[in-house]
Amino acid sequence: MATMEIRSASKNYGTIRVLDDINLEIGDGEFIVLVGPSGCGKSTLLRMIAGLEEITGGEIRIDDKVMNALPPKARDIAMVFQSYALYPHMSVADNMSYSLRLRKTDKPTIAEKVRAASSKLGLDALLERKPKALSGGQRQRVAMGRAIVRQPKAFLFDEPLSNLDARLREQMRAEIRKLHRELGATSIYVTHDQVEAMTLADRIVAMHGGHIQQVGTPLDLYDRPANLFVAGFIGSPGMNFLKGNIADRQLHLHDGRSVALPETMPATMGDATLGIRPEHVVLSPAGSDGLEAAVELVEPTGHGIILHLTLAGEVFKVLTHDRVWLEPGPTVCVSFPEEALHLFNAEGVRV
Amino acid sequence: MTATPIPATYRRPLRQRLAVTLEPWLYCAPVLILITAVMLVPLILGISYAFRDIQLLNPFSGGFVGLEHFKTLGQDDAFLRALRNTLWWTGASVFFQLAFGLILALLLNVPFAGRGLAQSLVFLPWAVPTFLAGLNWAWLFNPVIGPIPHWLFALGLMDEPSNILADPSIAMWGPILAATWWGIPFFAITLLAALQSIPKDLYEAASIDGASPIQRFFSITLPYLAPVIAITVLLRTVWVANFADLIIVMTNGGPADRTQTVASYIFTQAFKRLDFGYASAVALVLLALLLAYSMVILVFRQKLSNRDK
Ligand SMILES: Nc1ncnc2c1ncn2[C@@H]1O[C@H](COP(=O)(O)OP(=O)(O)OP(=O)(O)O)[C@@H](O)[C@H]1O
Ligand SMILES: [Mg+2]
Repeated sequence: MATMEIRSASKNYGTIRVLDDINLEIGDGEFIVLVGPSGCGKSTLLRMIAGLEEITGGEIRIDDKVMNALPPKARDIAMVFQSYALYPHMSVADNMSYSLRLRKTDKPTIAEKVRAASSKLGLDALLERKPKALSGGQRQRVAMGRAIVRQPKAFLFDEPLSNLDARLREQMRAEIRKLHRELGATSIYVTHDQVEAMTLADRIVAMHGGHIQQVGTPLDLYDRPANLFVAGFIGSPGMNFLKGNIADRQLHLHDGRSVALPETMPATMGDATLGIRPEHVVLSPAGSDGLEAAVELVEPTGHGIILHLTLAGEVFKVLTHDRVWLEPGPTVCVSFPEEALHLFNAEGVRV
Repeated sequence: MTATPIPATYRRPLRQRLAVTLEPWLYCAPVLILITAVMLVPLILGISYAFRDIQLLNPFSGGFVGLEHFKTLGQDDAFLRALRNTLWWTGASVFFQLAFGLILALLLNVPFAGRGLAQSLVFLPWAVPTFLAGLNWAWLFNPVIGPIPHWLFALGLMDEPSNILADPSIAMWGPILAATWWGIPFFAITLLAALQSIPKDLYEAASIDGASPIQRFFSITLPYLAPVIAITVLLRTVWVANFADLIIVMTNGGPADRTQTVASYIFTQAFKRLDFGYASAVALVLLALLLAYSMVILVFRQKLSNRDK
């Protein structure tokens, strides 16, 4: 159990700055998810917290103690690696008890803790096996078991589920959530899967290009994305963007058509981008009210239908659950409910 | 299917059947002939010497003597001493080569500026001809031209700067030192390759689990290296036990046969005394001992890797 604080932390590799001015406060028992595209510095930040990577600037505190100069073992945190990093020469039980044995914990306590962790994770039958005799999912559980046996102050996860198949990932996701509710330990979880981020997080930290773009609850990020990056990154399929300029409370598209804006938005603004999520777009047959768009592709996903349209020369996606749209004809009309519109200025910042 | 099936009673003509049977042998023939010519014939010839009386200086020798050489061997004190010396020489050389090779590999596995250069320099002793290496070390030990006796004297390890190679009680250390110097690169390079194949995140996981560098070495590095160490030690032991160059060049088996190993004894018997028959008999004994040793190691290794599963 711990609180964490990251103050204007930065990281350079040589002269290349990969993390810049990271500020984040994490409450006791909170589940934080770091998301962002590949290479944005998520793992680097996590490894800096773990003590595996030096901190170039700023400071990282755990329970109000500065961690910058402390080695990993002094930080009392546990980490689950993407590759699991199980010790290949040790049995499952030995893997889990390694940290306890290093701490010279007495044998009965070790046995007790390993038993508790293994029954929690359903590993009882596998305790004597070597890691190479386990499936990917089982290895994943052992890695989790190794992290929970010694009840650390905080858990760090670096894409722990990315080597599993979709079904197993779903199952493990739920288990991690359950485990967190039981243990209540502060956790930081790195992923680039936004479904994982949305379902697991108390708060999401969206990162891009070495900067934090937005911190908030999953619904915050979904409902009020702070900028174009977060808007496009959260949600699947991603948000649609219409570029143009605003005058007379209208967004004038490049093809000459325009979209009326609600009262709450500025009446004039110059260049701007209007965003709307595919699931919020209202479809109507060609010839009705709204903007007409050409249909390029119809993608039935089973639980919904994704229409790929072309609007003002850009790809525009619509998600609908009405099977009428399986055969939409060459064009359809789209219209936008006022409350579902997001407006971003020329710098890409939400207004 | 358009081909008509062959009736059961049909038999191909004899010539065709013969060709079919011989075909695979024809393909193999070049290799078989080559192996027989360059490996089997010399081997059998060499073994046959052990049972014959072959002395280059005696034109009437050449007859079959049965186990006569082996009987002599049983009573040959020089041979028995050479056997003991071989154990000592091989054990110490391989041990020091392994120990220093491992230390060097661990050092070279840590990133530092100029590591690439250091890695290629480490390989250098390996490229020095053993004959030259032997001469070089013999000179280094020589108080007239070499510095080592003077250093040992200055350190108080020696009463006066004298030649180690001339002192029967410590002469063996000379060739052992030279062999260690010469053999370190082999261990360093193979162990370094093995070290570099250990996933880095294992060490990271262990350091988060609270393991000190030494604990990490014993719980990750050593188990990973164990099979490689076993096989390189096996290879080196056989190699070093057979390795007479350094001893011949540095001490020629002396003083008072104190550095005579079985390998150098074979060399002396064959090329100094020109008694090829006896030398072959000694060589055959060495071969048998090394084969037995290899078997033991291989079985041991098999057990180890089975237990690992
Ligand atoms: N040792 C290193 N030397 C130089 N640059 C590095 C090093 N390690 C990482 N980087 C750079 O730092 C940036 C961030 O890397 P990081 O591994 O944190 O990305 P990530 O967000 O975890 O990506 P992914 O989702 O692919 O794992 C990348 O641009 C990467 O090229
Ligand atoms: Mg990463």
